[in-house]
Amino acid sequence: MRPSALLFSLIAVIILVDTLFWAANRYQKKDLETKLSSQQRLVGTFGLTDLALSTEARYTRHPAVTDSVAPFMDHPGSIEHFPSGSFILPVAVVGR
Amino acid sequence: MRPPLQKQLNILDYGLRSLWQKKGRHLCVFLIFSGVIFLLASFQFMAASLTRTAELLLATVPDITVQQLSAGRQIPLAEESVAHLDSVFGISNMSPRVWGYYFDERNGANYTVIGSSTPAADPLLESLLVSGRYPVAGERAEVVLGSAVISNLDLQERNSFSLFRPDLSRISLQRVGVFRESTNLLTADLIVMSIDDARDLFAMEKHELTDLLIQVGNPTEIPTIAKKIAETIPGSRVITAEQIRKTYEAVFSFRSGFGAVCLLASLAAFVILAFDKALGFSTEDKQEVGILKILGWQTRDIMRLRFYESLATAGCAFGLGVSLAWAHILFFDGGLFRFVFLGWSVLRPSFDIVPFIQGRDILLLFSFSALPYLAATIIPAWRASIVRADSVV
Repeated sequence: MRPSALLFSLIAVIILVDTLFWAANRYQKKDLETKLSSQQRLVGTFGLTDLALSTEARYTRHPAVTDSVAPFMDHPGSIEHFPSGSFILPVAVVGR
Repeated sequence: MRPPLQKQLNILDYGLRSLWQKKGRHLCVFLIFSGVIFLLASFQFMAASLTRTAELLLATVPDITVQQLSAGRQIPLAEESVAHLDSVFGISNMSPRVWGYYFDERNGANYTVIGSSTPAADPLLESLLVSGRYPVAGERAEVVLGSAVISNLDLQERNSFSLFRPDLSRISLQRVGVFRESTNLLTADLIVMSIDDARDLFAMEKHELTDLLIQVGNPTEIPTIAKKIAETIPGSRVITAEQIRKTYEAVFSFRSGFGAVCLLASLAAFVILAFDKALGFSTEDKQEVGILKILGWQTRDIMRLRFYESLATAGCAFGLGVSLAWAHILFFDGGLFRFVFLGWSVLRPSFDIVPFIQGRDILLLFSFSALPYLAATIIPAWRASIVRADSVV
């Protein structure tokens, strides 16, 4: 067998595997989206505004509704010390 | 087969045989390159999937959330100020809420306590509980708990437990319901109770609220109404649903960006390695080029040969890396990188994310990985191809 034929066979296998992943993704995504949309009721009922990803500090647990100064409130000159805080941007505030 | 295409295939065959002859060296480069692409792609896919999950979950977030600020800090909102909002036209519903954080000193975990009015009977809402029910109006000290809270409080089968008020007196609570683990992304650290119980736990006055949730009749009026509310309640902080959704887009892209910065550094190191490896061609390589030239190969044919070698390596490594990253997100929920997104929290619940991969992500990854590799091998390929046959053979 020519080496180029082997290369094209390998590319075909990768494309086939990715197509199977794509099909699995479609199936899994549909199922998960249905599950998550039922949770929208929970968000509306209790007014949940954030995802429970980083629970280490209030400004990482609820970045959308926290004061922009929350990371620096402990004392004057305080610096923030939670690592996940360095990823979180403060929300823009209307009328201020 | 047409002769030009046959010629290209012959060059490719020769290049692949040449790669195979030095398989130890090339396999090492191939595996490292696949690994770097796998890391980059996993970060990109994870960020896209989390953004999509947040977009789906937070679709029903309150139209407007109103808080009170004083000296740059959030303070309780007085119930009287809510009455002023009656004059704002367009508000369809206002829900007062008391909520805050409870720090568990035994294990360092933070729980989110939500004091809310009793939800109306709703089969869909009930189906999100693994057992029990929501607190009933008029009954005191009833709570619904998230799965991470139960494991951290070590409740097991017990329904009664107590938390401490600020003055260290105890408040006894009764578990009446438990959220399903499938809702962990929203409820893992939640303790849901009545507004009065939440006020009691946080020692707040009867007329105090943490924030006010507002629904607006016409969604196009949300920004206008938000401005009016900010003017009506002096010192208030007004957050719209759109701002919350935008926050989440920024959070994930920035997080993944942070990871990508670290990974791009390793990619840059790899490209330098590839450049260095290709630049330092051996006497044997030079002799090979010399023999090819004597046999009639042109400089452009040798450059094409080197390009095909690099393209085959980069293309296959890209295919393998992206496929592995896709499998990582689809079947393992991005387990390898979750810690970056979860932070250093004590509560680290499991949760489902919606796998979300777009064509533009794949193009972006190709531009950041395979293209730099191909570019890094051009100059060495040119230097190798201009060797004079009589100087090496």
